Amino acid sequence: MGRLIARRLLTAVPTLLAIIILSFILMRLAPGGPFDGERPLAPEVRAALEAAYGLDKSLPEQVWMYLTRLAQGDFGPSMVYRDFTVSGLVAEALPVSLLIGGCALVLASLLGISAGLWAALRAGKWQDEVLMLAATLLTALPTFVTGPLLALIFGLWLGLFPVSGQNDGWDWLVLPVVALALPVTGAVAKLARAGLAGELGSDHIRAARARGIAPLTILRRHALRPALVPVASYLGPAAAALLTGAVVIETVFGLPGLGRYFVQGALNRDYPLVLGVVTLYAALIILFNLFADLIYGWLDPRMREG
Amino acid sequence: MRPALVIVALIVLAALLVPPLLPFDHVAIDWDSVRVGMFTDGHLLGTDDLGRDRLARLLVGTRVTLSVALAAALVALVIGVAWGAIAGWVGGRTDELMMRIVDGLYALPFMFVVILLMVVFGRSILLVFLGIGFVEWLTMARVVRGQVIALKQRPFILAAEAAGSPARATLLRHILPNVAGVAVAYLMLTVPHVVMIESFLSFLGLGVQEPLTSLGILVNEGAEEMDMNPSALLLPGGVLVLVIACLTIAGERFRDRLADAAR
Amino acid sequence: MSEGYVVRDLGVRIGDRAIVDDISFSLAPGEIVALAGASGAGKSMSAMTPFGLSAGVASGSAMLDGIELVGMPERDLSRIRAEKVGFVFQQPLTALTPHRTVGQHLQEAAMQAGGVKPDKAAMVAMLESVGLSRPEERLVQYPHRLSGGERQRVLIAAALAHGPRYLVADEPVSALDAALRGEIMALLVRLCRERGMAMLLVSHDLAGIEHHADRLLLLEAGKVAEAGPAQQIATAPATDYGGRLMAATPRLSEPLHQLPDTGETLLEAETIHVHFPKPGWRRGRIDAVVDASLSVAEGETLALVGGSGSGKSTLGRAIAGLGPMAAGSVRWQGTAMPPRNRRSSEHRRLIQPVFQDPLASLDPRWSVADIILEPVKWLVPHEYRAERAADLLEEVGLPRDFAGRKPSSLSGGQAQRVAIARALAANPAMLLLDEATSALDPLVADGVVALFDRLQRARGLSLLFITHDLALARRTAHRIAVMEAGRIVECAPREELFANPQAEATRRLIAASG
Repeated sequence: MGRLIARRLLTAVPTLLAIIILSFILMRLAPGGPFDGERPLAPEVRAALEAAYGLDKSLPEQVWMYLTRLAQGDFGPSMVYRDFTVSGLVAEALPVSLLIGGCALVLASLLGISAGLWAALRAGKWQDEVLMLAATLLTALPTFVTGPLLALIFGLWLGLFPVSGQNDGWDWLVLPVVALALPVTGAVAKLARAGLAGELGSDHIRAARARGIAPLTILRRHALRPALVPVASYLGPAAAALLTGAVVIETVFGLPGLGRYFVQGALNRDYPLVLGVVTLYAALIILFNLFADLIYGWLDPRMREG
Repeated sequence: MRPALVIVALIVLAALLVPPLLPFDHVAIDWDSVRVGMFTDGHLLGTDDLGRDRLARLLVGTRVTLSVALAAALVALVIGVAWGAIAGWVGGRTDELMMRIVDGLYALPFMFVVILLMVVFGRSILLVFLGIGFVEWLTMARVVRGQVIALKQRPFILAAEAAGSPARATLLRHILPNVAGVAVAYLMLTVPHVVMIESFLSFLGLGVQEPLTSLGILVNEGAEEMDMNPSALLLPGGVLVLVIACLTIAGERFRDRLADAAR
Repeated sequence: MSEGYVVRDLGVRIGDRAIVDDISFSLAPGEIVALAGASGAGKSMSAMTPFGLSAGVASGSAMLDGIELVGMPERDLSRIRAEKVGFVFQQPLTALTPHRTVGQHLQEAAMQAGGVKPDKAAMVAMLESVGLSRPEERLVQYPHRLSGGERQRVLIAAALAHGPRYLVADEPVSALDAALRGEIMALLVRLCRERGMAMLLVSHDLAGIEHHADRLLLLEAGKVAEAGPAQQIATAPATDYGGRLMAATPRLSEPLHQLPDTGETLLEAETIHVHFPKPGWRRGRIDAVVDASLSVAEGETLALVGGSGSGKSTLGRAIAGLGPMAAGSVRWQGTAMPPRNRRSSEHRRLIQPVFQDPLASLDPRWSVADIILEPVKWLVPHEYRAERAADLLEEVGLPRDFAGRKPSSLSGGQAQRVAIARALAANPAMLLLDEATSALDPLVADGVVALFDRLQRARGLSLLFITHDLALARRTAHRIAVMEAGRIVECAPREELFANPQAEATRRLIAASG
């Protein structure tokens, strides 16, 4: 297991570097820059600004400068929010995004796994069919449709939850988290159902039945862990889906998370901000894949040998 | 599978055939009836803030979304099948290298790469589907590779070699026809996925640009006026969800049927 | 309360389909009864359905120690299984739960009838009794660390852990390597005799069970075709079906039949080496065939016999130019054959293969005629047309109008005959038969073996006959080469090989096939 993790970490570093360098170059190739405002700047001002941000240097030099600073934990200054550093903005936004994403992940896993397992135990019956159709419908619900819709119904019409911004309580979390969790719930339910239904027909379950073990014990002791392997393998993609969904959700519900900064930054050509967020996203996804590997190993000892 | 496909076919037909029959096109502004309700002055679904016919915009938006999705899915199909077939057929270190690349790309936060691409290279519709296609081929490549490797181990491939069939003929006459079914199933599953991505980008203002419209743009516009006029959100959102759900169901059934037939 | 297991008029249905129809038998305490027959004859269904372990629904009566099992609710049936019966299945590789250790499996099995938790010494003793080496180490291992044979031993230990009176074994050895089958079967029988357990044994392999079972039931299409003491059926079957089945089952004890005469040496393979790269970036290599030499004469059958992984298929493919070859030479009538990728169509034509899995040997999307004529397209062009496909079908004993069919509509035996017709279409001098009959039911396999004999006499074909079945090799081959761990350890005419076996591996194979 240790060797597997070590190898994953070793491949994670070049992946992360590649993402950063690629994104950096892409941003620099873009026509237009952060100082192309509505009024053209005086050439000397522009030159001074570019020098200050290192834009006058060659591309490899800029990449190197960026990487060395990044190694010290410094994402550089934001070019648009001029009084802020990227690290400062990110430090403020990351907890909000992690809170929403984390809650959504927990909610989606709990709901999805229970629904999927329940459906698998009724495989072929109408409850199974209905539940799986519902799960497919859930996966077809884009966050940018459900977000506004939930805001409309539960916020504006029923007035149950706030629809914009944070407050000191917890109720501002409900709508964003639910909107974010719905499609992931559907996907998890389908995977859990397929996993358990496949497992229940397997030889080792028949062998356990032949020993006269009680059905619930068979489920708990023999079927559950292998049945959850497909769900675990979805953890990495789920993290990506949640981060992407959060971009919309934070915009829709006016929350100061990473996603909003990313979109704003991209539209404003705020290179350091966008790069910072992309780097963070990539690191998060890699972290999640690593986490998934650990769960994998726990679920199935065969996976412990990389 | 069949009802789902019928629904999709109906939506496609409506998006293709109905707009020319309407008295208004999706950009024309009807100054006499700005922001009117349903069934007013010949506007079946009313008009928006600028006096444009909502029905025409909904249908054209559907058409744009679907064509972008189909084009992107085809790009993904071509890259994915070629990549997967070569990796699986050649095997050995070539295969390992090619699949390591796919694994690496899988770990990327893709949506963000697409967003970067959109920002960097302007927002032409061509780039939208090229960009999405370049992102979506990974699953196709994995599936096709797995299929090719499974086929390669079947004795009829060895029998073809014994029968003197050159490698290229074996690939074209034995391998690819047997991969086609699975590739089509995953094409059917890629389309709804791409619909989702395209609408997402358009919703953020990074995808299709005015005067063209797409379901994502309509959902975005609808979300802004949903408190006054919920149907502006519900109609494009509903069409979007329907298309994605039906294509997913049809694709999954088709894939499962192929898997059953293989057993 | 009457002891024993008594089945009367048992029927099994799946949905509307009757799988088993009115079969009756009984199993006295300590007795071993075997259900045998072709695949689809309903033998597993008859054994498993009364215990609620199949997809079928049982009718009729099955009394275990005076308790009726048919119609019993699953809860009670589950208790009966836990207390009175042990089960051994065909697939040792998948019948253990992957995330539970051997020790956890044994513990669960020992406690299934409500017994106390076994201590380590007790579990070690269980593993020792089934002949598993290093038992203490095994207790903490996960199943994937064990080989197929070792896993089957663990499963047998688990089946016996609660001290059942009855054992139901469903094809317990057919997924194992040939050399292991006899050993595991003997282990099962010994354990039954020692503990006074009764065993209901299901097997398609008559030769493997007839010495072990007390009584034998031959099933055909869901009915009992013949029943009686095993020795009696084996030596003097009373029914036509029994007679044909016995005749189709090769045995080492049977008299040798005359084989066709042989001619000049055709093929000589010398010091063949084959190795495969290990997967992964840092590659080592696996030596699959080491220093193997053999020759085949015109009209001769040479059998290559060995366990799985012994390299027999790899060697056959290397010779036919259908697989890798690292070193060595292949000569045909004295002239060297070029390596795989430079063989001309004339070279390819000479040796044609027939493989084990008949359906996987045919492209599912092609018609039978296209499949048969594939070699004609590339190897012997402009010579034959559609008429040729029908002629070939006739030659392999299939109706001429099969030409328009798709592989999915063929049975296993028919598909294998189509594959043979394809091989013949190239007008070969030699056939490479890679376990060509081992996936077929005994009667079908026997028909295909007879076809090879007919083709050999009619066309003067040489056969390189690869098989794990020593008795079949003895029946069909002029000479037999025994392979172990990539080497040919012995090669001799069949009479000589059995009269005076030289290699240890040969003696072991003969013992396992007895």
